[in-house]
Amino acid sequence: MRQGIVASLLMGVATVVGIGFAALGQTLSAGLQAGLFWTALLFGLFPALARGFIVEEETGTADLLRIGARPASIFWGKWLFHATLYALLSVVLVPLYALLVAPPRGHALGWLLLWLGGGFCLTSILTLCGALVAQTTVRGALLAGLTFPLLLPLILILIAGTRQALEGALPAEPLQGIFGYALALSAGGAWVFEKVWQE
Amino acid sequence: MWALECRRLGKRFGERWVFRGLELSLQMGTVLLVRGANGSGKSTLLRLMAGLLAPTEGTVVLRYQGTPVADRKRYLGWCAVDGALYRELTGYEHLRWWAQVRNLPAERDLLLTHLERFELGHRAHERVRAYSAGMRQRLRLALATYGAPPLLLLDEPDAGLDSSGLRLLERTLHEQATYGIACFATNRAEFARWGNLALELGS
Repeated sequence: MRQGIVASLLMGVATVVGIGFAALGQTLSAGLQAGLFWTALLFGLFPALARGFIVEEETGTADLLRIGARPASIFWGKWLFHATLYALLSVVLVPLYALLVAPPRGHALGWLLLWLGGGFCLTSILTLCGALVAQTTVRGALLAGLTFPLLLPLILILIAGTRQALEGALPAEPLQGIFGYALALSAGGAWVFEKVWQE
Repeated sequence: MWALECRRLGKRFGERWVFRGLELSLQMGTVLLVRGANGSGKSTLLRLMAGLLAPTEGTVVLRYQGTPVADRKRYLGWCAVDGALYRELTGYEHLRWWAQVRNLPAERDLLLTHLERFELGHRAHERVRAYSAGMRQRLRLALATYGAPPLLLLDEPDAGLDSSGLRLLERTLHEQATYGIACFATNRAEFARWGNLALELGS
């Protein structure tokens, strides 16, 4: 798990540095800034999130968890770890992004709500998909295939919202979409996980 | 009064049936010895009993006073030779974590006394990665028996144990019979006397 966290941080930092280098001396549009911001966070999150359940299955400790704890506790426990990782990545990557690419500006509350809602949804989706693929043999390919349809609409809404926040407006409609998505994930995530986790 | 029932139990992996139509009724006080050649389905049967695998057909039901228990995982102790432990935790931390997730008493003295019972007290605060294979097996047994679960499932529990560990295992099985049911899988003929009921798979 420690290796996963380090890999996440390195991946995130490398992405932001790469973007910063490519954007050197250029003025980026709000839409491009928003897209690059969420791409950097997503790239950073992926290496560790994908490993959460896979490590448990590979080392054999998943049986211990299955016997010992309720599925909902396991789901939310892993979710909490992933959310902490998201916060840690943000602490490292957001200042770096501000320094190398473009400082966050515009509607501060909008930014905060997008960060919170986006983080909740991202960690829920990746926790759920991580549990699903951990029990298969074609993990890497399946993880990408499973997460893609779930992540794509979320990322598009987050980018649209972030662009509005950068332009100084409260992204009301994107936020509605994100919090609706979060509500559906919090209600259904643990339930789906329970079904997946049994065998 | 606890009872475990398997009705028309069968498990298939792909096209191959490991076993089929298994009928088993175990009452409190039973120590079931499961024997069979490699690949005969000993581990599969125990995993089905534990609810770690779903049966292809049939049912497994744990009853208390005749009433089926909804989530039998909450009432069983599990020890498998390939069961992994968290290498970065100490033996004591392991047992404390286990007690907490299962809502069992987690007072330090209780935990240390239980580890002492498995002769792990003097190494309780060392990380599991420093344990020998036999000590890891003792820790698995300590986890499986903590809280005196009514159903104890042991898959090759003798693996890696020295003579004193084997005596501990024998005592554990006898104690389990006083308040619950135990099932253990092994191929070593000398341990057959530990069970009061035997099941030969693949015969």
